[in-house]
Amino acid sequence: MNWTCEETELRLSDYLDGILTATEKHEFDAHVNACERCTPFVSSVTHALSSLRSLPQIETPPRFVYNILDKTLGPRETITGWAAIRAWFRGFNPQRLAYGGVSFCAMFLVFASFTGFNWKKPRIADLSPANVYRGADRQAHLVYARGTKFVSDLRVVYEIQSRLQRSEELPGTPDSTTPQPSPDKNPGSTDGSAPASPKQQNRANDLASHFVVLAAACPSCWEGRTR
Amino acid sequence: MEQDVQLVQQCLQGDGSAWEELVRRHNRRIFNICYRFTGNRTEAEDLSQDVFLRVYRTLASYRAIHGGFATWMTSVTRNLLIDHYRRTKRDRATDSLDDAMPVVENKESTARRPDEQALLGELSSQVQSALTKLSPELREAVILRDLQQLEYGEIQRVLAVPEGTVKSRINRGRIELARILQQMGVRPS
Repeated sequence: MNWTCEETELRLSDYLDGILTATEKHEFDAHVNACERCTPFVSSVTHALSSLRSLPQIETPPRFVYNILDKTLGPRETITGWAAIRAWFRGFNPQRLAYGGVSFCAMFLVFASFTGFNWKKPRIADLSPANVYRGADRQAHLVYARGTKFVSDLRVVYEIQSRLQRSEELPGTPDSTTPQPSPDKNPGSTDGSAPASPKQQNRANDLASHFVVLAAACPSCWEGRTR
Repeated sequence: MEQDVQLVQQCLQGDGSAWEELVRRHNRRIFNICYRFTGNRTEAEDLSQDVFLRVYRTLASYRAIHGGFATWMTSVTRNLLIDHYRRTKRDRATDSLDDAMPVVENKESTARRPDEQALLGELSSQVQSALTKLSPELREAVILRDLQQLEYGEIQRVLAVPEGTVKSRINRGRIELARILQQMGVRPS
């Protein structure tokens, strides 16, 4: 059975409430997908319904409950002491109150830890503004110094790594670059001829020298490697 | 639901704290129904207070066998809202005549308060505005079904009309709401 536009409109709420049978739903979808009029129509009603259902719950005005109680039960007796405090707390939303309390505690813990509050030996004096300021200042400087040292170490390691990489990438083997003694010359004598190539002269910049630099620059890394 | 019935019994025996508990359990729901129907906080507050006053006075007439206390309270609310609608119909007619005239005076009285505006947000404000443009029969059906999530049977008891009428009103209300929103320029993205 093919549905008409009128049938689709009549059963739209059943479709939106999900109470159509599987066959009816199939027929409904088939018509809506094929009908130029019903496609935007169903879409607009679906959108209106979702907008309507997303409307928030409105909070009641302050003292709303007390006004009702005053009008029905009459003005209440003035309560004092603990009863007054309990009544005051009853006006709060317990979930929100708990959330606020937990947030405050978490914030206090973070703040106190940052200012160097000693949890093992807590003292009221540690919470005085001057001590809090001093603690925060000290912690800030410590964090800054540690950060600077960390960045500096990283830079040294990076530099050493790049140097090692560069020397590994150099072409030729040590044998091919080793100067060979000339058969025409006496060992140790110079004849004023052209010196060896710069690469041959800079043989000091080999792997061993890099490791010396590494050991000097970053003793902790070096110890870690040799252990 | 059973707790409500128990509280009603205690209340009828003169237990003030039971009544206080009933008020605390239902005040937000009743206020929201009134607000969504009228679209005005002050009117909603006054009407909600009237609802609780009437419920307090007629509590003895509540019979648990006829349905839940919440449904009964919703019926009382609905009756008061319809009474209020009829009472203020003439005022609204005058207002709409005034609206039709070219207005140069200060429109502050009809404008929403800034806190209300912030509270609702633009879309919510438009939906609320569209809702108040529905006829009262369609509006109450849509509010009970889509905002209060009542079952068809409960709505039938509240409105005291057959289930077919309830379904038809809800369907027409939703379609009409979509049409009004489209006229206001609110379209599905």
